[in-house]
Amino acid sequence: MEAGDIFNQLVDAHYTPLFRFALSLTKNSSDAGDLTQQTFFIWAKQGHALREEGKAKSWLFTTLYREFLRSRRRAERVTALEDLGPVEADPPAPAVDVVTGMDAGLVVEALQEVDEVYRAPLTLFYMQELSYKEIADMLEVPIGTVMSRLSRGKAQLRAALARKESGARAKVVPFDAPAARKLS
Amino acid sequence: MNNVEAKFILQGYRPNGADAGDTTFSTALEQTRVDPALHDWFVREQAFDSAISAKLGQIQPPAGLREAILAGGRVTSSDSTQRRWWQQPVFMAAAASVAVLFALSLALWPRTAEAKIDLAGFALADAMHGEAHDGHGEDTAALQAMLSAPANQLSRGLPVDFEALRKAGCRTVNFADQPVLEVCFKRNGAWFHCYIARRADFPALAAALTPRLTDRNGASIASWADAAHLFVVVSKTGRAPLERLL
Repeated sequence: MEAGDIFNQLVDAHYTPLFRFALSLTKNSSDAGDLTQQTFFIWAKQGHALREEGKAKSWLFTTLYREFLRSRRRAERVTALEDLGPVEADPPAPAVDVVTGMDAGLVVEALQEVDEVYRAPLTLFYMQELSYKEIADMLEVPIGTVMSRLSRGKAQLRAALARKESGARAKVVPFDAPAARKLS
Repeated sequence: MNNVEAKFILQGYRPNGADAGDTTFSTALEQTRVDPALHDWFVREQAFDSAISAKLGQIQPPAGLREAILAGGRVTSSDSTQRRWWQQPVFMAAAASVAVLFALSLALWPRTAEAKIDLAGFALADAMHGEAHDGHGEDTAALQAMLSAPANQLSRGLPVDFEALRKAGCRTVNFADQPVLEVCFKRNGAWFHCYIARRADFPALAAALTPRLTDRNGASIASWADAAHLFVVVSKTGRAPLERLL
């Protein structure tokens, strides 16, 4: 198979999940697009050295994450977040049917409110592309750390979703409320 | 395993069932079958995770991103084919700096043992009695292809990972109790023998950074060095084809 064909196949198979991961990291569609492109350009330049095609997916996600970190040096922030106390037990969360009824953009916004150190493994987990072991390899942390970050990340996501949900409810103004009467 | 531990493990279980075969989850999954409270929690957790995954899956990349990646990839790939990493200006500048430092160190290096070590003579003797052969192993083949490419000037730098080549099965000969790699290659119809030694194995051997050409016993020999390696190329087809390689 020609190198160009391999590249096309790789782009078609992975550019959408890579963009979603980039979007959760950068919180900005334009930056996410740039980061996704940059990742594939690095592959175009160096990917021929990758001997096992089966590892291309992990390589792409790892490269995208490293490129993101390279553009944002936040080592101190990460260290501080790792020192947080135990996870809050069963934080308040909207019911599943509420989440199902939410706009996808709102859910992604909630995900973007999760601290960066937890957001990367959490997004990868929800994309269901990589196992927790592959996520650990990618982030270069022990498996237990991934599990711990998933736990904390989910707690933060639940809290963010609850805020989004209550915010959305607050925007629905009853017709007989004074504010509504002013508008009419 | 108590329920807290089981929950800690199970919250890493992907809702699409991709982890069903992973033994890490086996015990915790088994526990959900015997503990109703844990079972209910797991069902809720999986439903929540599944809902979030579905929402994330609805996010689509902006229009035109795919085409931009494909177009940019073609340009990048073509550029990297033309200029390998060791041909990049930054690397060439770094190599030039190393070369200057190396030249200075050579000028100051003691040469008492130099006369006793004749790597070029050894290479010539080996090449005269050896037959041309293909490289062994992928790394050797890559180096052989690079040596054979008509546009490559060998004296501008060769990407050599000595140990990798050796382990990959590149032909290795012994000279003064040290390993020397030999790669045969063909360029423009003529065969050449390239010998590569590590500088560290021959500390007393002086070598020029620019190729030095000599004729001996009807063959032509080019020898030079970079920061880490000594190179000797032997040609049995005359001096002109050898000069064109360098």
